[in-house]
Amino acid sequence: MSSLSDPWKHLSTSGKIILPLVALLVLGTVALTVLWVVGIGPQVMQGLLDTAGANIGILRFLAAATGVLLFTVPAAFVIIFMELKIIAFMNLRIGPNRIGPWGTLSSTIHGLKVLAKEDYTPSGVDVPVFTLAPAVVYLAAVLTLLVIPFGPGMLGYEMELGLLYFFAVGGLGVIGLMMAGWSSFNKYSLLGGLRAAAAIISYELPLILGVMGVVLLAGTLNLGTIVENQSGWFLNWYAFQQPLALIIFFIAATAEASRTPFDFTEADSEIVAGFATEYSGMRFGFFFFAEYVNVFILSALTVTLFLGGWNGLFDIDPLLEAVGIATPVSLSLDIASLGPWLMAIPVLVLPILVMGLTALVWMVKSSWGFLVSLIVGFVLANLLIVGALSIWALFSFDALMGITWFLGKSFALVALFVLMRATFPRVRMDQLMGFAWKWMMPAALLNIFVTAGAILIVKELAG
Amino acid sequence: MRTDRVPGLALVKGMWFAFRQVLRPKVTVQYPEVLNDIAPRHRGRLILLYDEAGTLKCETCFQCAAACPIECIDMGGVDTRNRYHVHWGPAEQYAERREESAMRRSGRPVPDRTFDPFGSIDLAPLDAILAAEGYRPRRSLAILERTQEVYGHLPVAALQHVAHQTGAGYSELYGIASSYPHLRFEPPGSHVVRVCRCTQCALLGGGRVLAAFCEHLGTDVGGLSPDGAVRLETTDCHGESSGSPRVEVDGEILPRSSVEDAVRIAAALRANVPQGQAA
Repeated sequence: MSSLSDPWKHLSTSGKIILPLVALLVLGTVALTVLWVVGIGPQVMQGLLDTAGANIGILRFLAAATGVLLFTVPAAFVIIFMELKIIAFMNLRIGPNRIGPWGTLSSTIHGLKVLAKEDYTPSGVDVPVFTLAPAVVYLAAVLTLLVIPFGPGMLGYEMELGLLYFFAVGGLGVIGLMMAGWSSFNKYSLLGGLRAAAAIISYELPLILGVMGVVLLAGTLNLGTIVENQSGWFLNWYAFQQPLALIIFFIAATAEASRTPFDFTEADSEIVAGFATEYSGMRFGFFFFAEYVNVFILSALTVTLFLGGWNGLFDIDPLLEAVGIATPVSLSLDIASLGPWLMAIPVLVLPILVMGLTALVWMVKSSWGFLVSLIVGFVLANLLIVGALSIWALFSFDALMGITWFLGKSFALVALFVLMRATFPRVRMDQLMGFAWKWMMPAALLNIFVTAGAILIVKELAG
Repeated sequence: MRTDRVPGLALVKGMWFAFRQVLRPKVTVQYPEVLNDIAPRHRGRLILLYDEAGTLKCETCFQCAAACPIECIDMGGVDTRNRYHVHWGPAEQYAERREESAMRRSGRPVPDRTFDPFGSIDLAPLDAILAAEGYRPRRSLAILERTQEVYGHLPVAALQHVAHQTGAGYSELYGIASSYPHLRFEPPGSHVVRVCRCTQCALLGGGRVLAAFCEHLGTDVGGLSPDGAVRLETTDCHGESSGSPRVEVDGEILPRSSVEDAVRIAAALRANVPQGQAA
């Protein structure tokens, strides 16, 4: 045994990881080869493919759920970084600037730190409920992303009742909060959970009632259809037909995501972390992440319902046609006919471009030597090529353009949430509740009746 | 329409203000990498702080003066109970004391730096006491009590000498001496005359009054009269004087003052030397 363990001890940490992986790779290759040679492999493969084909719906759902789950992590990191940096700028501070360029990786490192912390389960807690609560909260946030259309045809799961599904699954988060508060075996956690549930449920009503106006106008609960109804110029957005609904929805979404000025679930500066008091390590991290994922999801839903979703500000195709460019841009050059000359593109075009830019740089900045100019010219040439390719891709593929507009608008709204957090003081609990029940509810109901009446009148006039 | 009645407009204004902050230059200085532009010989400025009631926060503990490496801090004041005048370091000896400190840093022997701002004392009896007590800092209280028996009070020079000979810190000795009510820093029964030197009092003739006191008490400001009976100090009336410069005799404010009053008071105080104080 010692003959085997001695060399093992001398391996570095990365070596201890790589060596077994290499061994596994070799063993797997050998095993697969043997299986294929013997003839068992193809049969097993065929069986697997048949099973997958028969259950394509399940597989698609699993893939979509995994996709949105993976999407939420970088999205949350970006939002946390935005929050750190924008609030710092508003305080005339520099903010995070140590890890990564301009501190962009600091939120990622925060996430890794939370992952590395001790995950402590206090004595007396209701262990299964205590363990499940963060997962429930996080999954409720993530699963709502399934029905949000990121671009034309780019949504996790096509659903006719998408909006209903969104609110139904999004409402599950409250159960997670209650689970966390109840199972913590701590009366302050319980109070925090009840407080969070009260606030969130109170604002869920105006949130849903505010959306009803849009649903009446669109005549569908399918989010993709709602977005398609807003295509064209930005005046077609529902924000201009339902301004009151937009305001109600945005305020309610602020409360729903537990953001300032309605951040009662975790009033950082005033009380202990509410329902999450007894949580530590990554379980607390899940609550923390869910909060930021919720911010993104509610921004995305606001964009989807009111701000045109993946539609651009302008309907750019007619404009381009007026100039004489037909979209999607098709290369008039038939690449296949070039034959061997295809090789000339990278061999000739790139050096000519690089040398031209180098000469230009050298002329503008003669104090730089030739080598520095060459490097700058090479970088500039690459940037030019990548930029040109990106612009071509943007205008050629609707999906790319759509997702760019969608993410741009969503993160602009996230920035608005951050701006609100930097500006507003926190409201009192009774003010929070009073505002929801005395102002938002009547306003939302009024919005529904006025919208319904307007639709009836327009129908009478038209027909 | 008044704009402040529009609901939510204040919120938007606040957010617009917050947004404009994003574009303003940042105040953070990245300290270890970036240094503020400070003159190379800048050491900050010594400032006495006042609390919210307007009282000096300095407790006259002498720790700053004791810690000052070139002994440039000259301290004077009253103790925390506002009873005794205490002093450390004469301003007129800066150059000399700096030289002393330079000698100490260079490792050469430093001459005895006993000094006395109020006039030198005969150190022979004090040396006898110190020898009897074995120069032990633990006997500080006994040394101070016996010193007071000999001198009638605890002169600063005596405290300095004790500190220098026993190795006890001056601030420790001062702490002991100010803590016990039977130990005193001043000759019993001495009078204090204070004259205001503010602009208002100067315009009312305060300079002439002060000059009269100096002449007839035979001392300058901050000194004792030759017989040791009266000390002449300055005060500040904080703009309260009315009609005549403020003069305080033993803490009592005279209703009015003039050069004639000064002459009369000086004569009366010097004539009224208490028993056992004819030094």
